[in-house]
Amino acid sequence: MDKLYSLSATQMKDLLNKKEVSSVEITKSVIDRIEKTDKDIQAYISYNFEEALKQAEAADAKIARGEELNDMTGIPVAVKDNMCTKNLLTTCASKMLGNFIPPYNATVVEKLLADGAVIIGKTTMDEFAMGSSGENSALQVARNPWDISRVPGGSSSGSAATVAASQVPLSLGSDTGGSIRQPASLCGIVGMKPTYGAVSRYGLIAFASSLDQIGPMARTVDDTAMLFKSICGKDFRDATSKDYTYKPYGENVKGMKIGLPKEYFGEGISAEVKEKIYSAVETLKAQGAEVVEVSLPSTDYALSAYYIISSAEASSNLGRFDGVKYGFRGSKTNNIEEIYLSSRSEGFGDEVQRRIMLGTYVLSSGFYDAYYKKAKVLQKAIAKEFDDALKLCDVLITPLSPTTAFKIGERSNDPLAMYAGDICTVTLNISGLPGISVPCGFDKENNMPIGFQVIGKKFSEDKLLTVAKCYENTVGGFAVKEF
Amino acid sequence: MEIDIKRIAKLAKLSIPDEKVEKFQKEMEGIIQMVENLPNLDTKGALVDPDNTMELRKDEVQPSYPRDEMLKNAPTTAAGCVMIPKVVE
Repeated sequence: MDKLYSLSATQMKDLLNKKEVSSVEITKSVIDRIEKTDKDIQAYISYNFEEALKQAEAADAKIARGEELNDMTGIPVAVKDNMCTKNLLTTCASKMLGNFIPPYNATVVEKLLADGAVIIGKTTMDEFAMGSSGENSALQVARNPWDISRVPGGSSSGSAATVAASQVPLSLGSDTGGSIRQPASLCGIVGMKPTYGAVSRYGLIAFASSLDQIGPMARTVDDTAMLFKSICGKDFRDATSKDYTYKPYGENVKGMKIGLPKEYFGEGISAEVKEKIYSAVETLKAQGAEVVEVSLPSTDYALSAYYIISSAEASSNLGRFDGVKYGFRGSKTNNIEEIYLSSRSEGFGDEVQRRIMLGTYVLSSGFYDAYYKKAKVLQKAIAKEFDDALKLCDVLITPLSPTTAFKIGERSNDPLAMYAGDICTVTLNISGLPGISVPCGFDKENNMPIGFQVIGKKFSEDKLLTVAKCYENTVGGFAVKEF
Repeated sequence: MEIDIKRIAKLAKLSIPDEKVEKFQKEMEGIIQMVENLPNLDTKGALVDPDNTMELRKDEVQPSYPRDEMLKNAPTTAAGCVMIPKVVE
């Protein structure tokens, strides 16, 4: 069969179940596709082809024996390079972990393997997941398949690019301030940040532990749900994970109330992005949804609260990288202090050092009350406003990124401009709520994708998927880049 | 707002080369300016989060990873230990 790599995971599953193709055939097609296109996309830091073929053979053997199959049996998945994979390089796109080979699997990887999935490789990202364009990778910068002179978004840059380029149907990303949803939006695919606690973080290299969450990325809503189903649930190794059971979703929004928070449609958002979001809302309205306006007055403070809390946690989390136990050791090693200083200064890139210093500053004596404590109070206020708004409606719809994908290099010398782009996404990490990015068109000038965000109450992923599925059906599916 | 980059770097165990101090200082001051728009708030109870209680696991012995596996990533080891330069005289 031709172009197996371009099929959705759901289509692959059906063919595998009917024994019309084998997982080895699918995996070989995916490998061939990656080999032909990755010099342009640069989505991967490590390939896992040899091992992937073995996993595919094992899946085929399972199918041949007539064993009961999981949805994911024999399906190729790409994994962001901040999730530990046993015996497979896991770098976080940092020189600091450039030689790190984990002795264990992250829980999400363990779950995928238990379900019979095929791990095809590790995708590039912003170093330690700090960034919104993929350009902060110390190893390689992924390209947007819709225009390879543009960024794919970040920090899950490689995971978004590989799916958008039809190299692989599914990928895992992680989202601390929008790192799944924003690149999904800029690459025209679906990406979901689950509720905090819905997916185990064990084995995810920590950035800001109270905000980090792993989630699925795919080209269709069904595929997104399929990957989410495989990875969610309680894990005794992550004390913050919750006893969450996957709930099936529908495709009907009749009678559903959609709230539009007016603060998300302000001046900072490009007119064209707003227009496309409103038109998506009209589409859902025509399918029977009701629309109400709601207000989230503290939105203006969200970006500040986010950068204070996330940097504070990062400065603490990244204290473990000391050049002693694992990872990079710097060039000066005469005494222990020199090892610490040279390992950290030579091992971390500028953006990571900036965030560590920002975190250190806001936690330092004399500033702690003014910054960190205030940010924590605002976090509660923002979460409460979401709770109140979601009492008036079932879901909220907002823009995701104020603009479409920009050119590589355009913002890389201006951290503030880069941070400002996160305004629509950081609020969900602060409040712990789930959000999904749904493609809804292209800008006129550059034909780059635009996405909208659906937000729901905690653990209402089924509702988000229902809205996304209804939209996907109504518009006849999402455009795929011929690449 | 002026930020003493050298002091912050020292606290964070980073060594910033002289030629980068000015750039980092300017950027950090910009970022601090951005996050300084916070309103005056009562911060009492700020760090208590009753909605997100963590569940502690039972303190039971669980299988762990073998020592040599864990040491494989260490830059220098000796006799089953991580090795660093002498820290006591």
